[in-house]
Parts: sequence; C-alpha cells; structure tokens
Amino acid sequence: MPQPSSNEKKQIPIKEGLFTAPLSPVERVRLMGSQCRGCSEISLGKRRTCSNCGGGNLTEVPLSRRGKLWTYTVIRHKPPGDYKGPDPFVPFGLGLVELPEGIRVLSPIQCDLERMKVGMELKMEVYPLYTDENQNEVMAFRFGPV
Amino acid sequence: MKEVAIIGVGIHKFGRFENKSYLELGQEAAQMALRDANLQWKDVQMAYLSKMYLPATSGARILKPMGATGIPICDIEAACASGGIALSQAILGIQAGAFDIVMVLGTEKMPRGFMDPSMIYEKWQIQMGMDTNPSYWAMRARRHMHEYGTTDLHLAKVAFKNHKNSVHNPYAMYRKEFGIEEIMNSPLVCDPIHLLEICAPNEGSAAVILCPQEKAAQFTSKPITVAACVPTNAYYSADFRAPVDSLSAKAMNPGPTEVAAKKAYQQAGIGPQEINCFEVQDTDAFCEIEIYEQLGLCKKGEGGRLLDEGITEIGGKYPVNTSGGLISKGEPIGASHLGQVFEIVTQLRGEAGKRQVPNAKVGLAHVLGAGNNCAVTILKV
Repeated sequence: MPQPSSNEKKQIPIKEGLFTAPLSPVERVRLMGSQCRGCSEISLGKRRTCSNCGGGNLTEVPLSRRGKLWTYTVIRHKPPGDYKGPDPFVPFGLGLVELPEGIRVLSPIQCDLERMKVGMELKMEVYPLYTDENQNEVMAFRFGPV
Repeated sequence: MKEVAIIGVGIHKFGRFENKSYLELGQEAAQMALRDANLQWKDVQMAYLSKMYLPATSGARILKPMGATGIPICDIEAACASGGIALSQAILGIQAGAFDIVMVLGTEKMPRGFMDPSMIYEKWQIQMGMDTNPSYWAMRARRHMHEYGTTDLHLAKVAFKNHKNSVHNPYAMYRKEFGIEEIMNSPLVCDPIHLLEICAPNEGSAAVILCPQEKAAQFTSKPITVAACVPTNAYYSADFRAPVDSLSAKAMNPGPTEVAAKKAYQQAGIGPQEINCFEVQDTDAFCEIEIYEQLGLCKKGEGGRLLDEGITEIGGKYPVNTSGGLISKGEPIGASHLGQVFEIVTQLRGEAGKRQVPNAKVGLAHVLGAGNNCAVTILKV
C-alpha cells in the first residue's frame, strides 16, 4: 500500500464533534450545533443533553458560516497555558459571533484590530492551528471580515 | 426559620506573604474570630473551609493544629462564590438544630499571574487562546458600551473610587489612590479593561463564627443578624463568564446576581433602598457597573449614571465597596466573600474608622465567578 506523502497530512478536529465531516475541502466545513427537539435551543458541538431543558432528543444542525460580531475584545498578552497560536505572540481579536440559527459562538477574530466593530459581518474559516506529535494537522476555526 | 447571628469575625490582610504558609494565614484569621466572639476553638462544633486553590483537606490541616477536638471539618469550593456556599451551609446546620457554634473560614494562597487555565477551560479552548479570564469581562463591557453608552471613563471611575476607599482599609493589598488619568493610561489587559481596573489573585484569609440569634447575647454585645444568604448558579445562557463556548441569542433568563438578590431581598424582607452599604464582585471595573443594575440600585443600562452622580461613593445613597473592593484588596478566592462579610460587620458595628458609612444598619455582600456561581448575603444590626 502506498504511504501518504509528507504533504498529505491527516486532518483532525481540535475537538471531536465541533465540525461537520469531512474536514476537506475546508471551504465546505461548518461548525456543528446540537438542536433540542423539545425547546429548540442550539448548543455548540455534539451534545447528548440539552443544557437548557435537560432533554435528551437532540439533532445535529450544521451552523451558518456567516454571522455578525455581537461583542469583542483584544487579547493583548499571550494567553496562559498551551496556546498554539503564533510564536512570538501576536495580539488578536476575540468575540462572540451571532449566527442566524440563534446562537452566539465564542471565536478568535482575524481582523485589523482597529477595525473591529459590533455588528460587522464575518465569515468562518477552518484552518490548521498546529501539527500534533503524530503529524496530524489539528483544525481549528476563526471568523474574519466578509 | 430560626434566625442566625454572626458573633465573631476575623481577617488576615489580603496581599502577598512569601514567608507565610496558608496554615498561618488561616489560623490567624480563625484565632481573631474566636477572640472577637469570646470563644475558644474547643467551643466550635462544626467548621467549613472555603477555598479553591488550596490542596485537599486544607480545612483540617489549618484548624486541627489548634486542637484535635474531633469536630467535622469540611472544605467547600464554588469558585469566587465559595464563601457564600460555605456560609449558607453553616446557616442550614444551625437552623436544623445540628450545631450551635459554627466557624466558616476562607483561606487562599494563589500562584502569581494568570490562574492555571486547565482548572477552568477545556484543552481546545486553551489551545485556541480563548482562556484569558479578563476577556470575558471585557466582552461584556464592550456590549454594555454598545447598548447603553457606558464609557471608558465610567470604568475608570469605579477603579478610582475603590482604590480611594482602600487607603483607609488596613486589610487591603494596595491602599494607594490612583488618578483617573493614571487609571485610563495604565496598560490595556483586554480592551476596554486596563490593568488598574482589574483585581489580582493573591493570598489572605477571613473567618466568621455563627450561632442561633437567641444565644448570641451570651458571646457578644454586638451580634449581627444574617437576614439572608442565597447561593445560586446561573440559569441557561444567563451569564457570560468562563468557561463558555457559546451563548443562546434567544434565551432571556435573568442573570445569577439578579436571581440571588431577588431571593435575598424576599427572605430578608428588605429592599435595596433600605441597604446602607454594599460589597460586590468588582473582579473588573465594568463588573461593578453591571452589578449596580442587577442588584436593583438603578435601571438596566444606568450603572454609569450612578458613578457620575457619586451615588456609590462613601457619603452617597448606595456606598459600594467601602473596603476598596477586589480591585484594591485582591481576590484570594476562597476568602473573598468572608472578607466582604468582615467589612459589612465592621460597618454595621460602626468600627470602620475613616471609611465608615454613617449610621449603617443593613449591608449586602455579593460574589460571582467561574462556573456562573453567585451568592448574595444580607446582614443587619
């Protein structure tokens, strides 16, 4: 069997159940939500129970790739712990992005920091954040200007 | 329900104490509370330790060296609200008739700098850099500014007031006055929050001794009644605080401070208009503004106005954080709420010196933190 060449790394999600499958092509990947059939609330990622009503009947809902910035801040110092972003550290935006499905998702915002504004239109991007010890590309998400 | 009174309080200054173990910090606060209540350690029938960062069985490690009296000693943790839960457990035990004299001790000795994120966040959130605690506070501030016109100056005014109050509190960490300009020119930690507008994790201890109200006169001439003590955890999507990955854009639940305060006002039969002094969770300057609104000191969105009008200063209608608040005291998490209770008791006894609120008869203490834990305690003369 042919070995995969070094430039065909396997891609894995940073958290299981966070994205739709498959992870390639990345342009088609969406964040996954779990919608409760009882109360219709949506949570991020794959869930077994609804954190609103406790119901156990949830369906997977792919979330929109586009949303609006609901609020934001700028991370000015390297976050504590095993941060996988650029080294040396570069300040970045962090915000809640409101999606049409009725959920606000916490996400890094890839944007000119001076231009960040509540209400701005954003689109999601899935990208390789780092390569793990097994040479897998670990895929994360962020939002940036449309 | 049986009324419960505070008969003794003690504190170890909040700050950094390189050459002291947490055992010493805790024992000093405990001994001070015992002296205040004219009691000895052997008289205590149950003890709770409120803590987050100390190791397992810290309560027993601190208290048992004062005498192996055989009483149950239990550690309690609910992040920034740990002290509120510990206090409520003590009250329940007394009300149930299980104990007459209960000690609630809060002690903490925290590492410097950002708190260890793995205690709060999932691995993927840490890897993506979504684990800087002040970022959550900052995003709430930004939204409030957008919706209600709250300004950078309003935030600075909170820090200005609290730093100013702390000068007169011998138990606070910083005790230094800062000018508005100096506060606004201090480095941004997470926009729009500056370094002089957030609290530092640190070390310290505070202790409270409780007994049934009808027995309080045996121990002290100045008992303080616990009119309410309500711990709570937020309803669905009602609080944006670590560790959250998303919020509902549809759910409209009231925040945990609102819920706890409402219950506490009902239990106490006391409304915010009748309260003379407040100690609240100013983890950051904005947080205090939001709490004004959630405690019902003003309408939603009007928190900034209270600062413009001096209403929350000592001498105003609703003095808030006469101790200097967490911004000046620092936040030794497990000791935080009990430190607030210490301040309120000091105010209600009329022993607060230059930071005394004239004729204070009723006070409120409020904490809120990770995991959406919250507590509101109301004390009265």
